Amino acid sequence: MTVLTLALIVGAVLFGIGLYGALSQTNLVMIMMGVELMLGAAMVNLVAFWRFLHPDVYSGQMYVLVVMTVMALEAAVGFGIGTARFRQRGSVEMEEAAELKG
Amino acid sequence: MIQAIFVGLWGGVAIWFGISVFRTSSMVRSALSLLASMAAIGGMFLALEAEFLGVLQLMMMATEMSIMAIFMVMFMMDPGGLGQMEMTHQKRAAGVAGLAGGAVAVAAVLLADWGPIVAEADGPDMQTRALGIELMERSMLIFETAGVTILVAMIAATAVAITRQRTP
Amino acid sequence: MTGLAFIAALFAGAYAVAVLEAWMATGRWRLTLPILSGAALLGRESLVPRRPDRLLFEAGPPIVLIAAVSAAAVLPLAPGVILIDLATGALFVNAAWAYVMVALVMAGWGPNGAYAMVAGWRFLGQLVAYSMLIVMPITTVAMRAESLSTAAIVESQATGWNVVTQPLGFGLFWLAAMAASFIPPFDHPVAPGELAGGVTGEYTGVRLAVFRLGRLVLVLSLSIAIVVFYLGGWHGPWLPGWVWTAAKTLIVVTTMLAGGRSVPRLRSEHLLAWCWKLGIPLALVNILWVGIILWMVDR
Repeated sequence: MTVLTLALIVGAVLFGIGLYGALSQTNLVMIMMGVELMLGAAMVNLVAFWRFLHPDVYSGQMYVLVVMTVMALEAAVGFGIGTARFRQRGSVEMEEAAELKG
Repeated sequence: MIQAIFVGLWGGVAIWFGISVFRTSSMVRSALSLLASMAAIGGMFLALEAEFLGVLQLMMMATEMSIMAIFMVMFMMDPGGLGQMEMTHQKRAAGVAGLAGGAVAVAAVLLADWGPIVAEADGPDMQTRALGIELMERSMLIFETAGVTILVAMIAATAVAITRQRTP
Repeated sequence: MTGLAFIAALFAGAYAVAVLEAWMATGRWRLTLPILSGAALLGRESLVPRRPDRLLFEAGPPIVLIAAVSAAAVLPLAPGVILIDLATGALFVNAAWAYVMVALVMAGWGPNGAYAMVAGWRFLGQLVAYSMLIVMPITTVAMRAESLSTAAIVESQATGWNVVTQPLGFGLFWLAAMAASFIPPFDHPVAPGELAGGVTGEYTGVRLAVFRLGRLVLVLSLSIAIVVFYLGGWHGPWLPGWVWTAAKTLIVVTTMLAGGRSVPRLRSEHLLAWCWKLGIPLALVNILWVGIILWMVDR
């Protein structure tokens, strides 16, 4: 059990928790929280791989920067869509978002 | 050895707060618990000797999760969690999926051969310098694409959320 | 030994900031005011509001103090006097100041009171306004030093302070520092008249003392950051380095606290409009300007 496998196991457990959250919640913001947890787990894996397998190749850190950027962007656009939907419907419950026509 | 202790400690904190995101019924506590989990992930980055990424993660997640907290207060019916509403659906299927996904990942981690482990990494100032050079030389295209993508996402999010003021 | 000296210096600095702030507010020099008011606060009854969110209520003020001390810990006071010399120090101070905002959101939500909650969320809106203006001037300073380490940034100013070559960045950073430590006219979180004390309105006794101490250390850490990044740190003739740092810091604190009370409070949406429509383009112009200067100097 090296430090690499320890970090990867933490990432795997976080991914499972995020997946549970994204699938079981009905509210848009809570679903986004699950997705953020999954992306965080992916970042933990990336940093562990960078540190223990290829510490001289800095594309690994670049990849983590890109994933962090994606987290922020997805939150921003998701909240924009949520605001628009809330203004139109009065709630952001995803159970009600079953039809494409708005 | 110390690195293993710290990685395990911050990992445990991240998992604990990750679980409590979905167990608490107060919405602000849920968002702040996610903040604590992300901060613990930042702590893991620092323990894994990626200092720039760790500090960046700490900084970004503080702002991002607080904004998530205010959006929860805006959109949810019971932000204080005092009403004990049931906010989930298909809990069993989701639980099975989460457990299965996590188990498959753990199995992949334990059964795969990851190759030789490199013992030494650069010091933090060399890392920052090397990351900057990587950003500006080899990954410049990625950097510029990310910049344009961020701008487009900002404009798109603002355009989706804005309401037309009809001037009478 | 350096650690103890550093903590003592922070404490003395917070004391001086409290005396200066009282002088600004009342016009009288009362050198024993912080001790007396601190003792009075500690002796008062500690009221807890009805049905607070207990965890967030208790966690708010200590996190302000811890975040402010962490931000000050990576700033150099004299050659070699620094608590933690991080290689990414200039980025770490930003991370620490961001947690002040998290603590204020907790302190606003925790007491289960309307005015406190509004004050907490208004500070979040203020952060969206000032956060870019705090980060971008630090970028230009790091560009000159070619390093994110705060000690390296001070040493790069041996040939000339940054305020001379980057006046625009200095102005923006100074304004953003006032907004980050909620000094009037940016004092929405603790607005005395409008929001009945805002975030501090529901706290009494020990917790209020911790909050006030945290805020003093925050003002101090922002002033030390202005001195380190733009005013040359410990550089200066004849006197030892730490005397220069102390003198410059106190002058910066005085200018930050000076005129704010006579200016009307800036509303959140106006602050947001000014910062995003005027401030960020100016910050980008500043980055371009510094880049051109550095390139010309290099040739």
